[in-house]
Amino acid sequence: MATAIREFDPKDMAQHPDSYFRREYVWELPVRISHWVNAACLIVLFLTGIYISHPILAPSGEAYKNFVMGRVRQIHFISAMVFMVSFLVRVYWFWMGNNYSRSGFPFVWRPSWWRDLFRQATDYLKLERGHVHLGHNSLGGLVYTLFVVALGWAQMFTGFALYSETNPSGFFGRVFGWVLPFLGGSFQARMWHHTFAWGFVVFAILHVYVILYDSTQYGNGLITSIISGYKFYKRGDLKHDRWVS
Amino acid sequence: MENPPLRPSTYQVLEQHGVDRRSFIKFCTAMAAALGLDATMVPQIVEALENKPRIPVIWLHGLECTCCSESFIRSSHPIAQDIILNMISLDYDDTLQAAAGFQVEDIRKRIMKEYPGEYLLAVEGNAPTKDGGVYCTVGGETFLSILEETAEKAKAIIAWGSCASNGCVQAAKPNPTGAKPIHALLPHKTIINVPGCPPIAEVMTGVLTYILTFGQLPELDRIGRPKMFYGQRLHDKCYRRPFFDAGQFVEAWDDEGARKGWCLYKMGCRGPSTYNSCSTFKWNNGVSWPIGSGHGCIGCAENNFWDNGPFYQRLSGIPVPGIDSTPDEVGATLAGAAVIGVGAHFVSSVVRRFGQKPAQPTPDSGDKGRGDV
Ligand code: SF4
Repeated sequence: MATAIREFDPKDMAQHPDSYFRREYVWELPVRISHWVNAACLIVLFLTGIYISHPILAPSGEAYKNFVMGRVRQIHFISAMVFMVSFLVRVYWFWMGNNYSRSGFPFVWRPSWWRDLFRQATDYLKLERGHVHLGHNSLGGLVYTLFVVALGWAQMFTGFALYSETNPSGFFGRVFGWVLPFLGGSFQARMWHHTFAWGFVVFAILHVYVILYDSTQYGNGLITSIISGYKFYKRGDLKHDRWVS
Repeated sequence: MENPPLRPSTYQVLEQHGVDRRSFIKFCTAMAAALGLDATMVPQIVEALENKPRIPVIWLHGLECTCCSESFIRSSHPIAQDIILNMISLDYDDTLQAAAGFQVEDIRKRIMKEYPGEYLLAVEGNAPTKDGGVYCTVGGETFLSILEETAEKAKAIIAWGSCASNGCVQAAKPNPTGAKPIHALLPHKTIINVPGCPPIAEVMTGVLTYILTFGQLPELDRIGRPKMFYGQRLHDKCYRRPFFDAGQFVEAWDDEGARKGWCLYKMGCRGPSTYNSCSTFKWNNGVSWPIGSGHGCIGCAENNFWDNGPFYQRLSGIPVPGIDSTPDEVGATLAGAAVIGVGAHFVSSVVRRFGQKPAQPTPDSGDKGRGDV
């Protein structure tokens, strides 16, 4: 049964405003770009990182003909640099972007943030449609802050400290070298770097599930929004928007 | 016969011991190389050792196994072992000394009185702090109090070995005697940490030569180690490094890779996280070193190396009380928990969706609700 595309009728829209979706430009270009660059980098970083600690490939032949570990480390380091730039762009855009770029961030001194956090958590647990957000809700903001921002910083500090070990008196050594003694030595720094990496896996599972769940629940185009930047809402939805920024 | 000068220089003492000029110059050249100095600096070392009175040294032994001394007296690079023993005026060393008892303690007190601010304090081992330090006493006094007393007027303090600089085995968990490294006991003093279990002999003599020649401490890194010897990891100069970069690893002690001398990374080698000069100087007159003989580095110059998990495993457990799992086990468990949580949520939402129609959002009149945007 083919669905006929109805002619746009302003009168119908005036009569039934609630059955029409409107759209709002939510994610600006730097947010979208950094999202995808981060995603790609994190996937590459995790896979290459796991290889570096558990090198399972065993190339045959003379050593001079192979450069497997060397190449994997090189890819790891390059993605780390790209991730850092993209991460810093996003941090910059936290201040420079529209309100949505700050939405959900743990403004722990504001009671409204805590109220929203509680509501959102219970909405998810009660499997209720709940209230609608155009930006991030408090729970989302908290998860992003812990699992991407905090972990991201932790990985950059431990990672660049380990990276600096080949040239301790170089730039990275001077900026990040203190991390090694701070954590109790190079060995401990490695162990934490490796442990933190798993945090991104946990995050990816939660993140992908929640966006699938959210966009089916709300029909808000959450998934496409990170490509196009637009999110959809019905007129009534906005009454439920607990703006937290 | 001419009377020997009151405080002879190193060279004067060596002459008395019959060391010839040639061996002496060889030693100076070897030291310059070890310290990473230009050949033009050799005369400066020669001059210092010829003219400067030897530094009086008090060498204390706390909780330790004497392996640092063993290493030191086997310093073989400079050909004549005499040079090493005679380079410094080792006035007090209760392990090497012939004298014993009150006599010896008198010597220590005398040096402290006669050369305040001039003598070097070399500490081998560390001090237990629990129960007033009673777990290590020398001549009826706790080692802790001897250390504090002797450190007060020392020109410089050298912490020999991992015991003195990191705590080593006696400070490993559960550390029943409360042993602490020297820098934790003397927080306001500058301490040269020369870690290693034991440190390489050439490193030990190199540090002393530097202090004697230049009259100052060598450049130290963030945790007090001389940069010239602890500036790089074993891994950076390891001769098996090409196998590491190629991705060719020993998988078992008797496999093909082990026979071919591939990298020991997967056998738990700590070379990538250990700062020391083993891959440069090697051991026992450059004969070999752990990795050279087919065994991974155990990281003996690194902080906490006893507690860093099994020596034959790359990563240790996470040092959080109650968790005794590797990062991978912890991570995979958390990821599994996330999958289970997400799955449970998904199933219940599907059940709910088919069980009852979701309530429609109440129609609303306008955008008013967004007023606080
Ligand atoms: S044997 Fe150890 S130090 Fe040498 S390259 Fe392999 S991991 Fe590095």
